Amino acid sequence: MISCAMLPARRTDPAHDTALQTALDRLTAGVERPDTPDGWVTAVRRLPARQAEYAAFPDGFDPVVREILRDRGIDQLYTHQAAAIGHALAGRNVVITTPTASGKTLCYNAPVLSAILRDASTRALYLFPTKALAQDQLAELHELSDQGSRRTGHEIGVFTYDGDTPQDARRAIRGRAHVVLSNPDMIHSGILPHHPRWAKLFENLKFVVIDELHAYRGVFGSHLTNVLRRLRRICGHYGSHPVFICSSATIANPRELAEALVEQPFELISESGAPRGEKFFLFVNPPVVNQQLGIRRSYLAETRRVASEFLRRKLQLIVFTQSRLTTEILTTYLKDDFDGPPGTRDEIRGYRGGYLPQRRREIEKGLREGSVRAVVSTNALELGIDIGALDVCVMAGYPGTIAATWQRAGRAGRRSSRSAAVLVGSSAPLDQFVVRNPSYFFDAPPEHALINPDNLHILVDHVKCAAFELPFTTVEQYGRHDVQEVLGVLAESGLVHRAEGAEGEGHWQWTNESYPADAVSLRSISSDNFVVVDTTDGADVIGETSFNSGPATLHEKAIYLIEGALYQVEKLDFDGRKAYVRRIDCDYYTDAITYTKVTVLETFEQGSGIGDQGSGNPETPGLRPPVPGPSRHGEVHVSSRVVGFKKIKFYTNENVGSGELDLPEQQMHTTAYWLTVPPEVMGALPYAADDRRDGVVGLAFAMRQVAQLLLMCDRQDIGISIGSGEQGDDTDLNRAGFPAKLSDQPRIFVYDNYPGGIGFSQPLFAMHGELLGRTQALIAGCECAQGCPTCVGPVGNTGPLAKTVALRILAMIATPPQLEEGAA
Amino acid sequence: MSSLADRLRGVMAGNVLKENVGRPLSGPPGASDPGVPAAPAPWGGVERRTDIEDAAQLLGGEWGERHGHRFLVIDRKYPPGHRHGQITLADTLPPEDGCWPRFPILNGPAAPSRRGRMLFIDLETTGLAGGAGTYAFLVGCAWYQDGGLRVRQFFLSSFSAERALLEAVAETADSCGAVVTYNGKSFDLPLMETRFVLHRLETPFAGVAHVDMLHHARRLWRREDPAGDGGCGLGALEESLCGHVREGDVPGFQIPARYFHFVRSGDARGLAAVMEHNRLDLVSLAMVTARAAQLLDDGPPAARTAREALGMGRLYERGGMTIEARAAFLRAAEHRDADTLTCAEAWRAYAVLSRRQRRFADAAAGWRQILDLRRCPPAILREASEALAVHHEHRLRDLQAARAFALQTLHLNATRSRHQAAQHRLARLDRKLGDTGAVAVPLF
Repeated sequence: MISCAMLPARRTDPAHDTALQTALDRLTAGVERPDTPDGWVTAVRRLPARQAEYAAFPDGFDPVVREILRDRGIDQLYTHQAAAIGHALAGRNVVITTPTASGKTLCYNAPVLSAILRDASTRALYLFPTKALAQDQLAELHELSDQGSRRTGHEIGVFTYDGDTPQDARRAIRGRAHVVLSNPDMIHSGILPHHPRWAKLFENLKFVVIDELHAYRGVFGSHLTNVLRRLRRICGHYGSHPVFICSSATIANPRELAEALVEQPFELISESGAPRGEKFFLFVNPPVVNQQLGIRRSYLAETRRVASEFLRRKLQLIVFTQSRLTTEILTTYLKDDFDGPPGTRDEIRGYRGGYLPQRRREIEKGLREGSVRAVVSTNALELGIDIGALDVCVMAGYPGTIAATWQRAGRAGRRSSRSAAVLVGSSAPLDQFVVRNPSYFFDAPPEHALINPDNLHILVDHVKCAAFELPFTTVEQYGRHDVQEVLGVLAESGLVHRAEGAEGEGHWQWTNESYPADAVSLRSISSDNFVVVDTTDGADVIGETSFNSGPATLHEKAIYLIEGALYQVEKLDFDGRKAYVRRIDCDYYTDAITYTKVTVLETFEQGSGIGDQGSGNPETPGLRPPVPGPSRHGEVHVSSRVVGFKKIKFYTNENVGSGELDLPEQQMHTTAYWLTVPPEVMGALPYAADDRRDGVVGLAFAMRQVAQLLLMCDRQDIGISIGSGEQGDDTDLNRAGFPAKLSDQPRIFVYDNYPGGIGFSQPLFAMHGELLGRTQALIAGCECAQGCPTCVGPVGNTGPLAKTVALRILAMIATPPQLEEGAA
Repeated sequence: MSSLADRLRGVMAGNVLKENVGRPLSGPPGASDPGVPAAPAPWGGVERRTDIEDAAQLLGGEWGERHGHRFLVIDRKYPPGHRHGQITLADTLPPEDGCWPRFPILNGPAAPSRRGRMLFIDLETTGLAGGAGTYAFLVGCAWYQDGGLRVRQFFLSSFSAERALLEAVAETADSCGAVVTYNGKSFDLPLMETRFVLHRLETPFAGVAHVDMLHHARRLWRREDPAGDGGCGLGALEESLCGHVREGDVPGFQIPARYFHFVRSGDARGLAAVMEHNRLDLVSLAMVTARAAQLLDDGPPAARTAREALGMGRLYERGGMTIEARAAFLRAAEHRDADTLTCAEAWRAYAVLSRRQRRFADAAAGWRQILDLRRCPPAILREASEALAVHHEHRLRDLQAARAFALQTLHLNATRSRHQAAQHRLARLDRKLGDTGAVAVPLF
């Protein structure tokens, strides 16, 4: 935030630093305590303080903007700001990945304001992933633009334009806005299809700012690329060529992502010149309370204890949770512990989506001013909302990605005094992997954000939208595929018509009554969904679920959770896409058992031998002649069917019952990575058939966790399946929905859970060595005796030998038996 | 792997399935997309078109041409003796100078006045959604000329001619003093503006007075019809005002499909009926406009129904003609066919206008009439009693009467804030009554 960059650095406060040190000492002392057999605190890292580095104002920096900055206490720019602004003013696209609170917004606000002051016709478009972020930036930008207006006498219009903008205000905004703050969804369905109304913006568009770039990965990112393709087509029509300024959290490939999204070259600014105080980073793993089942103490209780250590010493604190429900629970705990008597001011606050804007603003202000001592928040406060810098950040559960973890941790960090971030791992597999392998987090590069904008499902939808906006010419290109062929297929359905022009260049005209953008949601691949109807009193729609996940979450007798309230599904109207639910009070949730059959349609690439691709494993000598390796990726057909469900008790995760279901099969074509366990490995395993099967199932379970980690994706983005990969039915299923008998060379598929694939399979194939290496580390490093939800799955699902067999399979794949024979 | 085209067909097939499942059918089944050809042409090939010259002959038009692009212009003349239902065109014509004297009232209070003929406009489009991909494939214009009605339709026979067509439309619209449409404020004119801007052309309608007859028609002729649009669709009005019943008219939802069929095949046979539909809409629009303008010229006694009188009063009021407005409201309120709602609205309009004119006694008389109505809507009743309470408290200084009216207000259903305001007034009145030593009427 600019305001952070501009605040004069607070002087070091020795008492404050001492308080923080004491709290940290108390926490880390636990390592030697007898009640912590597995190392309570698994990592303590110290990130040294850093001095500010400044640079001169770049060429072309408007003197008025300089004055405005000076009035706000900014006399010089940090090096990264100067470099970014310099690139932008010189017309080069730039992506900035410096930490939270390093003054990133100035990197785009300064060049935009400079350009507007120099030429009042200049227009800029800002894209934020959420409406709330746009609102937050509006206030910030208003201050700057007002000062600019006052100094120059020209009014500078800055407006948000999104679904909440009143209809009668829209026309005025179109006419008067120099800077429009919006989101990709609105650009897609509200602005691009109506581009003639926005002619003034598109004629004069100099800058497009994309904030929180890392949010655009997977489906959302693939859609955004297409929205930007359409945006650039429209700009071309009006004769403008905007410069893109992007900011991103720390990911491994910010420049690649920016270039993939915008499809233009980018400059990368990753070295921050902003000062930073010393910071400590701790990983805490709640102690095991049941060795046999691998059950740990509640991570929420542990978070409460950690937070208390800091709160007790008057340090300002933010606690991040993984859900709205846990936010409310932890807020209640901390209020019980620390809030004053009733009537005094609330010092502990909760914060999440669903709170009214006014309440949110009040909490944000309280945090900046210090009257709020602690806030418990969902990821709502992870992105750039201005709350100032706090002393401590405690994360209840791993946020899911390295990038998000650093971003949350960045909420704590004073300019010149000490700060701390503490990650408390839950018993979820990812959490356990991270807290037990701190070097994965601290020393490995962060995740790659992956997109696949040429997924045919996504591409076709956007070609329709683009044809609606402007006719395609018969020589025009769009995306990686031959768009002329796409248009030809659209013409077969009567959506477009090819009209020959007089000069030989024809056009594809939109010839349909519909408004295609309405049928395309950027946040999912399919616009089809199930709605959830609460019939407790009357019939209210309380939620929706995508078509793909509908059967697994809304089958009859399923427990549906929303904001901590429990509902039971009474009836699923599959054809009507409705689930009727009723409120219920129970202590379990349900987990669907889905049987998935994958058939290989085509193999794109196959590994030439273990370790030869991807990670470049140094242990693999180049002695072996290239033999077909066990990994592949390619196109597959996936059919899945929900066959039953389990009832799982809250907190203890005990399996307390089950049921059978018969739901329609869902089918899709997608892409997959797969690992073939060679017949000689299967044959050489010294175990019974059932145990061998359990080993493969356990291995698949663990691989899924690691793949999710490597791909920086959500759990539902990928699916796993075990089978032969060939046509035919595997009839008998075991309790987890896997085939009861395996073929002699079973394959483990990790497939993209979206029709057409979303770009995970090829990278996963390239990271094959890393995938197996980390899977091995996950299973071998787990303290459980015979398998738990953290590694190969709960013992109830797999057999007692799953862990052992899985490790054996991995070892044998790394050193194939026939090689041993050959050596002997 | 299958070819790209095959995979695309698979994706499209999935989408069609998906769209059919997820969406309720609009329009009769089977009619949703008749424009899709039964046998698609092989990709890449251009469909063989029937001779485009046939279109001109079939639709009865002549080719216009600009910059090498041709579009069709269809001219029709309706003579004074032309009958539209029971109405003869001659009876609806404006006076010699081309406009009815009180027509400007329909423009609204702040309409710019530019002398020139009235131009009636009605579009046929490729959809109702709006946005850059919705085309106006037929721009129908009409104006009075030589004692009759001239209709000129510009037909977009190929998309590449759109710019040329728009330029020709702009020339026709150039000298007009006012544009008259039906629902043009929210549909026709914004859509035209979009087309002009897309071709980087000046829109000819900027700064020209625009009369959207839909809104006036609702004022004057809306009927009790909670489910529908109050009989204010152009077709319904044509029937109720002119007694004209269309035969063989094209249903509106079929129009885009008929055009798309022409675009793909060059077969214009389905479009003759669309042209006629558009012409009938233009004639009806002119007649409806004439009826409204003539009513205003003839004055309040010409109103045939209470609703019409009430609507006229509102129009007069907008046009600043308060004497006529008062007369029209009174006529509405006292009309023999006036139902309770119309009566209450008329008295209310009368009272509000009187109050604005500082004729407070007249206003009070109007409000009192409302209190005497049986089954009057509570909102108007509450407004009347509140107004009377104010009137008696501040102007007549009859605190007892004011209190009685305030009490009445309190007992009518109202929102919380209104309820509080009424309680406030009561409390204040009671205080005042106490101060002057008057005896308070017991509350209950």
